[in-house]
Amino acid sequence: MGPKILTVDDSRTIRMIVTRAFKGFACEIFEASDGVEGLTVAGRERPDIILLDLTMPVMDGAEMLSKLKADPELRAIPVVMLTAESGRENVLRIAKLGVRDYLVKPFKEELIVERVGRIVDLKAKNEATTRVKRFDDPLQVLVVDDKPVIVDQIQAALTGLPWTVQGAAQAGQAVDSCSQAVPDIVLISLSLPESSGFILFQMLRASVRTKAIPIIGLSVKNATEEQTRAQQLGFSAIVTKPIDLIDLQLKITRALNLDTSYKYFQYRDGVLVLLLPTSFNQAVASDVTTHLRTKVSEAVDAGLNHLVMDMSQIKAADVILIRLGIDVIQLCAELGVKHALVGSDAVCRECKNYAETKDWQFSDSITEALENLNGKTPATI
Amino acid sequence: MIDDMDELVTSAVTTLFDTMLGMKMVKVPVQPEFIDSERHIAGVVGFIGKLNGVVYIYTTQKFGQRITSILLGLGASEATTGEMVNDAMGEMANMLVGTMKSRLMDRGIACVLTIPSVVRGSHFSVEAISTTEGHVFSYEAEGNRIFVQFLVKPGS
Repeated sequence: MGPKILTVDDSRTIRMIVTRAFKGFACEIFEASDGVEGLTVAGRERPDIILLDLTMPVMDGAEMLSKLKADPELRAIPVVMLTAESGRENVLRIAKLGVRDYLVKPFKEELIVERVGRIVDLKAKNEATTRVKRFDDPLQVLVVDDKPVIVDQIQAALTGLPWTVQGAAQAGQAVDSCSQAVPDIVLISLSLPESSGFILFQMLRASVRTKAIPIIGLSVKNATEEQTRAQQLGFSAIVTKPIDLIDLQLKITRALNLDTSYKYFQYRDGVLVLLLPTSFNQAVASDVTTHLRTKVSEAVDAGLNHLVMDMSQIKAADVILIRLGIDVIQLCAELGVKHALVGSDAVCRECKNYAETKDWQFSDSITEALENLNGKTPATI
Repeated sequence: MIDDMDELVTSAVTTLFDTMLGMKMVKVPVQPEFIDSERHIAGVVGFIGKLNGVVYIYTTQKFGQRITSILLGLGASEATTGEMVNDAMGEMANMLVGTMKSRLMDRGIACVLTIPSVVRGSHFSVEAISTTEGHVFSYEAEGNRIFVQFLVKPGS
């Protein structure tokens, strides 16, 4: 459970509004209708923050606050005052009481969440429970760049994926866009005028709604100064211009921790098949390695102890492929999984030339490999 | 007593309804026959200090229920109880008068608010006595009308 929030207000309406405002966040809300009850609940629940009305019967907010501050066990609890009175004198009086912040009624729900989120760590309820997104799930990508051609390039680069790319030419436009619908990821040009890309980054990080969104910087290759600044600020990654499609997709995938395992790991006839694509390269090998142990362990846990590594679509055996093959075979040996290899003619031929792979035995097809494994005739290393 | 009473009230009403309900209130001419039409509810808050007075914000009970539903985020199928409507209308009055009071305080007109209360009924009107200045304003949104009545006289 998240932070404990205590709302002390004689108006049930305000307490209900506060409760509703935090409905989407992992937190516990406690209510009290006056200062006396507020002190009792604070003592019992030790809330992480108190939202305190000023004008209440029995014991008003000012008195409750002074008693709270006099209690060594409760004095550290931050208090945000809610008041219908915003005059200068009133604000000064509230400040002197030792409150962390104050909000004037009427207020928007978003504002109260924003202010509380500055003091305690609020997490959206679904943040912890949402399933991991897959690479082929729909995503909203917001690109903030004053050059429309960059937005167009990114749109073109992501064609074929169910990802929606929205462009914003200025930081203000991006903020408006985020307030309407929170994107899954934001790409910000680091060369926006007057450092507005960095200002936008800080604004998004300061907002409860957008603070967890991964933000990638877009920068020209030789603009090292702005790239260093972005890394120091905490940008998730930097994509350099001209934009490389593979690099862009890879960095978005990593920033969002997207599940790509379905592209390589499949189950056929009770056997786990590792399917390497024609476009196999270092990035794919890294991607496969990321999921390898988890997927093989899952298979073992599910009672399946056969694996086929299918390299039939690969045109040549290089050091990257061989290294991955060795990793797969070692993991299978470690976890007691029987394996079989399927290779293209080129892969089969080239593997004979290396000491590490000359003893690898290949089946001609997945069907043959499955028959070998299921027919209790395991391929030998 | 207060030169810009119209602007003071209108600004507070429009801000309150827009912020809390997302409703755009527009000032309309006062129509006295409204009072005789159906059952009404009024949120009431007084103030005491350099100025003494009381502010009524009243409307039909039906619109009062709608205000409550929006304020509390209730779905169409969720019923509002009389107590909920009372509390919501009282809080609306409290926020309205609080906003006006803050602006008066900035002009050196110090006063404190009373606790909110609610009046329900039909065919009733609030009238100022001879020593008190009375102002009535009317606003409309989504075909619903509210009255704000401001009764005031110099205080201590």
